[in-house]
Amino acid sequence: MGIDLERWLEALGSGRPGGIGVEAWSVYAVERRRLSIGTRDGATGNAHTPLKISETLGARFLAVWEDGKISRGSLERRQIADDPLSALERARGSAYADPDAARVSGPAEFPDVELHDDRVVGLIDGELDLVGHRLARVRETLAANDFGTWSGAIAVAESRSRLVTSIGLDVEDRGTSAGWHVSFDGEWGDGFSARSLDDEPAFELRLSRLAETVRHLGRPRPPMKPGVHPVILHPHVVETLFLGTLLQNLEGSNVAHGEGFFKLDEFGSDRPALRDDLSLTLDPTKPLKSGSYRFTVEGVPAVRCELVSNGCLRTPILDLKYANRLGLDPTPAPYGMDALDLGATESVSERDAYALADGGALILSVLGVHTLDSASGDFSLAAPQALILGADGPNGRIRTTISGNVFAVLRDEALRPVRFENEPTPGLLFPCHLDPT
Amino acid sequence: MAGSVIAELEGLGSLGRELSRRARKNGLTLIWRAQVREVRRVLVRDGRPEDTSHTSSSGHAVHVFTDEGRTALASRDDFAPEAAIDLLRGAASAARRSAALGSRSSALPQLVPVVESAIPASAPAFDGLDLSLLIRRLAELEREVAGEVAGVSLRVSFLADLDGWRIQRSDGTDVTFVMPRCVLRLGATSAGRDGTHGVGAALGAPDPGLPWNDAEIAVFLRRAIRAARLARDLPDAPDHPAGSFPLVIDYALAKGLAHEAFGHAAEADGFRSSILAADGRFRAGERVGPSHVSIVDEPVAGDHAWQPFSANGIRRDRSVVVDHGRLRDGLSDPWSAGEGGVRLTGSARAGSFHAPPLPRMSNIRIEVDAPLPAPGSFEDYGPDEVRDLLVSAGILNRHPRVVFLSGYSGGQVNTATGDFVFNCKAIYQLSGDGVRLHKPAIFSGSMFGALGSIREAFGPLVLDALGTCGKWGQSVPSSGGSHYFLFLEPDPKVRIGGKS
Repeated sequence: MGIDLERWLEALGSGRPGGIGVEAWSVYAVERRRLSIGTRDGATGNAHTPLKISETLGARFLAVWEDGKISRGSLERRQIADDPLSALERARGSAYADPDAARVSGPAEFPDVELHDDRVVGLIDGELDLVGHRLARVRETLAANDFGTWSGAIAVAESRSRLVTSIGLDVEDRGTSAGWHVSFDGEWGDGFSARSLDDEPAFELRLSRLAETVRHLGRPRPPMKPGVHPVILHPHVVETLFLGTLLQNLEGSNVAHGEGFFKLDEFGSDRPALRDDLSLTLDPTKPLKSGSYRFTVEGVPAVRCELVSNGCLRTPILDLKYANRLGLDPTPAPYGMDALDLGATESVSERDAYALADGGALILSVLGVHTLDSASGDFSLAAPQALILGADGPNGRIRTTISGNVFAVLRDEALRPVRFENEPTPGLLFPCHLDPT
Repeated sequence: MAGSVIAELEGLGSLGRELSRRARKNGLTLIWRAQVREVRRVLVRDGRPEDTSHTSSSGHAVHVFTDEGRTALASRDDFAPEAAIDLLRGAASAARRSAALGSRSSALPQLVPVVESAIPASAPAFDGLDLSLLIRRLAELEREVAGEVAGVSLRVSFLADLDGWRIQRSDGTDVTFVMPRCVLRLGATSAGRDGTHGVGAALGAPDPGLPWNDAEIAVFLRRAIRAARLARDLPDAPDHPAGSFPLVIDYALAKGLAHEAFGHAAEADGFRSSILAADGRFRAGERVGPSHVSIVDEPVAGDHAWQPFSANGIRRDRSVVVDHGRLRDGLSDPWSAGEGGVRLTGSARAGSFHAPPLPRMSNIRIEVDAPLPAPGSFEDYGPDEVRDLLVSAGILNRHPRVVFLSGYSGGQVNTATGDFVFNCKAIYQLSGDGVRLHKPAIFSGSMFGALGSIREAFGPLVLDALGTCGKWGQSVPSSGGSHYFLFLEPDPKVRIGGKS
């Protein structure tokens, strides 16, 4: 049975707060059950990291009123079920003029995308053997490596969503999500999240690589001199720093308001904004990825979308409002990094990259990405977890700061994507200014 | 209706009491947390609204403890009585099952029951906020800034957040508190030859009348116009070289230093891996900084991060984390205080009713004994005036060049290693030749190196630097400050990033 929105839909159809009715509307509702357990400094399931279960039902809506004004907002469970007229009055109280946003989606073809895994539902329902097994494997890894402590979490959820609009769209969906994260000795962590838990071999590989990396971090080495050195950014750093910055600057509102690095007239141009073999593609139709879906909250169908190809900007990321404002088609939205593909004509394996970066550093994590001004692309970050590289690979720990500019790196002829096993996002190898401490 | 959030919290008492009764009957200890929150937001750009909303979020959680000390937390986003009883049943079952996962015993220590409430006078006024008037007012403020600084893209926003909690424990505790928070913000972005830069300014207050309060708006406009000018000038400013330098930081950056470098490491739930603890116990009494420097955390009435009770229903105490250079108090809750060797300070806060409370900061500040005078208000001080302060204190005689880091843009810390980082909005090089603007860069290094290098302070305390703390994925408002400015001697363990 679908999510029951009848009372709210009835209110939208018949309510007239202040004598003004709703001319068009869109409602996106999600009902979710979630289970999680955490571990802090080796203590699993204590008062700070309890076994946690939650139930939520909420909705986001757009109402276009007869006077042309719009209201956007969210509804909580009791407003949907028990008090829709008060919620509508409140919505009217926050109505404002925004003609570009006064648009709802009609019926469309939505792709079949694999989003649900019954095994995750079993975990939420209390079949916790797998969770117990994985916690035990983490504890065994801790002991085998003589690490002092570990922290982490496992979370699973099941959700149902429903999107209804005033012009005949009524579509539903069901999905699951699952993820885990582990760090040893407060130093470095790794994990996985998707719409299904990773299989055992992938889990074991990631756990053993994590332990190996933390062992490397336990061996301090004299740093290299400050200056420009070859650097490999770990895929996690590429996601937070490079993909995060790119997405911010591709965001339709930033492009429309001139508040991003990219200017509107660069989109659709044949003049490369990045190196001419680089591409960035959003594909929310991949099976069982965190960033996969069938439709956006506004009813835009999931479809593969080239954001950058051959270094040229193809389209900003556009919701209905900014598509209207810029006179372009709406695009799918990036809901997870694993739905993005950053590519180049040539990439190198992790092993080959180590040889190319001999004398440089592998940057495992950075502090302070959220403090950067993404519009400039400038970065200046502490990297207390970095490994000095020999031709054969990591050779002990250094602490450093790294600095540069994301967009300059993405235009650099020396840039090489690096394929890391088990990672959807590549690492990046490039010359970077290091200031070891 | 006057005070709808307050009225709703008041009406929930019987639900909490019934859940407590059932918990006791089943041999459980219960902490019940109910939250009712209303948030109104308006964003104006180019004189017109870009986003306006009025949303509420409410619900409750049962946090149960079995007599073996197993625990679970179950939450739901309504207050339906039957569903609440199912929630309690589910939580009890989950707590018992958690033993199979190797969970750590976590019994709630004996506490003194508290029955109190704290509802600031401004809370009922939130119901009367008219969003259409607010849109017009923000557009006026945007025009005023645009009239002073041309060629900059502006956006002005206002957030009115009324966050009410009721917490009951099965020992009879019943605490209600409502936290009123309003924030007026300006964002300014400008593009130049060498890229695009954005700078923000903000002012917080507990009263939704903030946009119409002349005195507060005068302060906001001074901050906003300065931010817009900075956004205009930054794209063409050069990078600053990396390295260790004599530094001046303003009170917002000092708050970042206190929060990121020391506050998080003093949170007692992390003592098993904190650099301020050994074998899980706080290193109280150890010297970590000079004897003229202290770090204090406490809820401040009217402040953005004010919270008078913990999310476990305990009155929050003042915590002197560093007392004249020596470690003194941790930030603790009932489960971490004894084990961590610190007194109970009632410091637990939760991002929402869904989340387990964690020890964390409220308003944290760095205090320096015998600060040097800095007459006037903080807004009177631009880089030239800061340079004059350094001249009058003889600091430019000691160091011919001093780097002034201005404005806080967030930070992060690794409490296990003591590495911290935060970013500023601008860097000014101050010297006998004058003042030179540079692009922002990170300020990073060892927390002990940073605290140890603080030498002079200028001006009185200002504690209104706003922020959001995201510990373990839970966002709560944070704030703090220090004297107008702190001077830090160069230390090789404290560096500015940047480019060579």
